[in-house]
Amino acid sequence: MTLDGRLSCLRERVRGREHAVARVGRVPEVLSECESEGLSWGWRVARLFVRQCEAEVPVIRPDERIAFERTVPSVAAIYGEADRRRLFSGRRAHELGPISNICADWGRVLGEGLLGRRAAALASRSRLAGDDTALGFLDQAVCCIDALLALVGRYAEAAEREGRADLAGMLRQVPAHPPRGFAEALQALRILHASVWLCGHYHVGLGRFDQYMMPYLRRDLDAGTLTEAEAEDWLAEFFISLNRDTDLYPGVQQGDNGQSLMLGGVTRDGADAVNLLTRMVLKVARRVSMIDPKINLRVHGETPLELLELAAQLTRMGLGFPQYSNDEVVIPALLAHGYRPEDARDYTVAACWEYIIPGRGMEVVNIGAVSFPAAADRAIRAGLEQGDGMGGILERVRAEIRSQVEARVREYRTLLLPPAPWYSVLMTDCLERGRDLSQGATYNNFGLHGACGSNAADALAAVQLRVFEEERVPAAMLLAALAHDWRGYENIRETMASGPKVGNDDPAADGMLCFLFDAFADACEAAGDNGRGGRVRPGTGSAMYYIWLAQGHEGMGEPSVGATADGRREGDFFSSSLAPSPGAAVRGPLSILQSFAKLDYGRICNGGPITLELSDAVFRNAEAVRKVAMLVRTFARLGCQQLQLNTLNAERLRDAKAHPEEHRNLIVRVWGWSGYFCELAPEYQDHIIARQMHRV
Amino acid sequence: MTGTVFDIKEFALFDGPGIRTTVFLKGCPLRCAWCHNPEGLAPGPEPMVGAGGTRLVGTVMDAVALAERLNRQAAVLRQGEGGVTFSGGEPLLQAAFVEEVLRRLVGIHTALDTCGYGDSAAFERLAGRCDLVLYDLKLMDAEAHRRYTGVDNRLILRNLELLGNSGRPCVVRVPLVPGVTDTPDNLGAVAEAARCVRGLVRVELMAYNRAAGGKYAACNRTFQPAWDEAREENPRTELFASLGVPVMVL
Ligand code: SF4
Repeated sequence: MTLDGRLSCLRERVRGREHAVARVGRVPEVLSECESEGLSWGWRVARLFVRQCEAEVPVIRPDERIAFERTVPSVAAIYGEADRRRLFSGRRAHELGPISNICADWGRVLGEGLLGRRAAALASRSRLAGDDTALGFLDQAVCCIDALLALVGRYAEAAEREGRADLAGMLRQVPAHPPRGFAEALQALRILHASVWLCGHYHVGLGRFDQYMMPYLRRDLDAGTLTEAEAEDWLAEFFISLNRDTDLYPGVQQGDNGQSLMLGGVTRDGADAVNLLTRMVLKVARRVSMIDPKINLRVHGETPLELLELAAQLTRMGLGFPQYSNDEVVIPALLAHGYRPEDARDYTVAACWEYIIPGRGMEVVNIGAVSFPAAADRAIRAGLEQGDGMGGILERVRAEIRSQVEARVREYRTLLLPPAPWYSVLMTDCLERGRDLSQGATYNNFGLHGACGSNAADALAAVQLRVFEEERVPAAMLLAALAHDWRGYENIRETMASGPKVGNDDPAADGMLCFLFDAFADACEAAGDNGRGGRVRPGTGSAMYYIWLAQGHEGMGEPSVGATADGRREGDFFSSSLAPSPGAAVRGPLSILQSFAKLDYGRICNGGPITLELSDAVFRNAEAVRKVAMLVRTFARLGCQQLQLNTLNAERLRDAKAHPEEHRNLIVRVWGWSGYFCELAPEYQDHIIARQMHRV
Repeated sequence: MTGTVFDIKEFALFDGPGIRTTVFLKGCPLRCAWCHNPEGLAPGPEPMVGAGGTRLVGTVMDAVALAERLNRQAAVLRQGEGGVTFSGGEPLLQAAFVEEVLRRLVGIHTALDTCGYGDSAAFERLAGRCDLVLYDLKLMDAEAHRRYTGVDNRLILRNLELLGNSGRPCVVRVPLVPGVTDTPDNLGAVAEAARCVRGLVRVELMAYNRAAGGKYAACNRTFQPAWDEAREENPRTELFASLGVPVMVL
């Protein structure tokens, strides 16, 4: 089941980041020509793509069968700082600016070939004569297509020079024309996918890989041109190739790069979509054991255990994937949010966990977070000062949440997305409509996350119980204790900390959690149109917010918070996505699932996983693996939405922190992504070590 | 009625079939030299002093409340093809309490994990209420049993015979302790005894727990292994296979 000599050599080379050493390409100078020619924004982006493609130096390595790696280490500027500021004056840029965190229609681009897409652009061009915006955009798109084909042509020539007829043959076919088989499809996808980063985009999802790749695999298997074992080796090589350039990809931490793919689920017309490739990906990802691609699997209450067992075998590797999404919950929620049935069935995740429709979603799935701890904390402090009862405090929480949602959405109503002619080529119908992706696609929603809910719910439940029901802690004393970060009030802290906790199937704490998400969903609904013809989708993820909201972060718009009424000290981490509060005494995985099953996922459809940590000692034998599979089935049957199962060995992590040189290859799940433990900042390392772990 | 419980563990993977929740009852009449639950030996709640401060181990629980809590998971446990296991310590020491809880469980597969050292009538009553018995056999030699567990094994073997004759589904479990329980003589004798158990599902050989000694200091006990902990235990599954006894190493 391991990799053969050649593949494991490739993997070691990529892990050792040898590709980074060989980056001989020079970053092109694009700005001056943009300025002297007075190019429009759209043309500047197109020019940028052309120049970046030209600057790439083809690398043909004798032992690699799938080519393409970045040799230009960064992306050139197309505006000076002052001009850039002027462009965005009064407008909001999302993160770094360029469109990110969505998923292209890979199936379509592969199936038509770039020349097919080029023909579509030209057809629109004649149809839309007179519409100057459309014509300008379509010309930019054609220009980008030609630039990429020219780069691929240079790769093919280089392959010929190196005597690599195999590679040259593939590169003469794809991505210009549709692939003739699985290997060509992988080569085409490698180039197309990696090229998106060349003009500043990032977090580029891989979508429903087993769906759009299966026809090519099937063709080879039926024709007898590939055996399954050979196909697995091709797939392994493709996965390794996805790790070549990741150090160039922007993210909060190394590994946060959005190379996520989705498996399984149903087809656009509702039939079972699990196929041979679904299983093959799960198997090969286990053999390759690298941080990319991140695997997601769509499941439902009746998913065969055999498939879930295969997935559990991958969980066992400790890479933090697969992550599971429950079709029975996600699809109805998307329908309720206005998605067409065939699109809802076609969902994938963007970079981490947010649901998006490949090729059709120009959604900004993470415009920020609502800090539940801040909302609860302000309400508790103000309410207790004003002599409110619990009802009054909860009304304040509602108002706090509403105002946070409004603030985030207000900022983003002025969102300005830069033109994206190349990304538009890869989407379902930008060329057909003659509209740049930045002008919108079929779905244009925003996603907003309700972060760190468990801490907030625990705080509210503790106040309800200790202050109001039992009257054990006087309001004034609690206020003083919070103001002093519990110093001098240790017994009060313990009383508050021992209150009801989310994760114990406890109605008091879980009820508060449901209240928070209901208030959040109400506020998002009330926000109405997001300024782009979409709405605001509430979600349950936290990304980096479990640290940022607790400790503050430069440029953060979300409110920060001190000590909280759940007994947490100032600066301590919050819960990550849907997990119990850090350090809370919880009963175990079943109770955690039962707690989070109470949320109304029909209203909160932006995604964000329940996070469970298992000790690696769990996977002792086949029976235990089967039980992990049944745990996933339980998750689905209870009606939960998304699940991330992590495998940890706490001792190994502690040792890795002390002796990083001995654990260079240790991979851990951080939030929607996995990374090498030793490449993470210390605060993330500490949080991972401190996570709740369910031992045997 | 109340009992003393020192842990309730969800998703216990090695205490019977399927997804299980295991209730650990406090107090044990044996003193196995390799016991990895030293905090479960004394019958009452006791303080455990660790790096993170002192905590009280052992909660006095009401049978009705415990049953209610377990019943809330009935559907989940059933769907996971599992149920509830009563372990310890030794559940037979709190037989009336366990029986009371068992009586109140609705639609849950139940297992009794016992060392077999207890009143035969109580054992038969509890076993009779459970769907499966996990029966621990440590050492077949009387003298060795006394030396390593502090008690005679005659009662244990008698109860095993009662269980064997009842035909009730049963898993015989042997903790593998290098050089102590994994000898050919001992495992051969276990295989012979297991063969006579009519309801035998299989024999489970439990891998030696090298973290066993970790908790002793915290509950003010000393761990003194009289065997070489570094030595690999030897499951000798062939001794079971040759008698046609199904066996599995956990
Ligand atoms: S019977 Fe079990 S709980 Fe009792 S001493 Fe032996 S190993 Fe420990």
